[in-house]
Amino acid sequence: MQDLASRLTEELQSKTSFTIPVFGGVPVPTSVVVTWAIMAVVLLLTFIFVRNLKMVPGKSQIVVESLVGFINDLFTDILGEHGKRYVPYLGTVLIYLAVSNVIGLFGITPPTKDLDVTAGLALMSIFLIEYSGVHQKGIKGWLKSFTHPMPAMTPFNILELFIRPLSLCMRLFGNIFGGFVVMELIKLVIPAIIPIPFSFYFDIFDGLLQAYVFVFLTSLFMQEKLEA
Amino acid sequence: MSALIGIGAGIAVLTGLGAGIGIGIATSRATEAIARQPEAKGDINKTLILGCALAEATAIYGLVIAFLIIFFLK
Repeated sequence: MQDLASRLTEELQSKTSFTIPVFGGVPVPTSVVVTWAIMAVVLLLTFIFVRNLKMVPGKSQIVVESLVGFINDLFTDILGEHGKRYVPYLGTVLIYLAVSNVIGLFGITPPTKDLDVTAGLALMSIFLIEYSGVHQKGIKGWLKSFTHPMPAMTPFNILELFIRPLSLCMRLFGNIFGGFVVMELIKLVIPAIIPIPFSFYFDIFDGLLQAYVFVFLTSLFMQEKLEA
Repeated sequence: MSALIGIGAGIAVLTGLGAGIGIGIATSRATEAIARQPEAKGDINKTLILGCALAEATAIYGLVIAFLIIFFLK
């Protein structure tokens, strides 16, 4: 048990994969390496599947088309006409999060288990949400949107600016890390067979659901800024 | 000392109680709504997922606090 506790403490800290020997050594965390690997694989798959598209789609093209169609429909439904320009970003984050949450199945540390990664993604989300408000209504309209339902709500609206990214970041990190800890505990008690169904729930179902929830909430907040 | 830390972490995880009750109520109402109006299934599902995600956040905060208590008070 003491052994497990010390290992979990170790897992909580972001590990350094290697150090770039310039400026006295720049440490590169594992999450960055895994993220770059995911980027390379996804980019490669895009190039492979987008080559020679046909009017009458083949088997692989149907799969890709339905995936892209699903992502486009999902976000255009929420964001409407004005928000169409943000769909590619949200789709990219969805694909990245889905891959990185499921990658734990192959024995690779998921980058989303690192608090820094989820914090970065949440910061990007909140900046894009506020930017979409500024782009849609100009600086003045954006500032006015803080007093939206009534002026008394202004402090809460300003507070939301910090609570939203915090809760996005903590939700993703907590779910992935919590699932990881529970899986480790199950593996400690029964190492064979029994962990498999639990792994289906925690790694695949929960991972995909959290990826969906993250982009879903981002697009909902964005829609609020576009409309209000 | 470590027993007290354990008790503290356990109390923090009690936040899961509220999240469980909340998600349970939301899901039961959503099932009723879908049974009454099957054509509104898509909208109901979306609202349900949003509500569950927000309700679940409290449980996650409890979990994170429990981790912090265990790892940093040790």
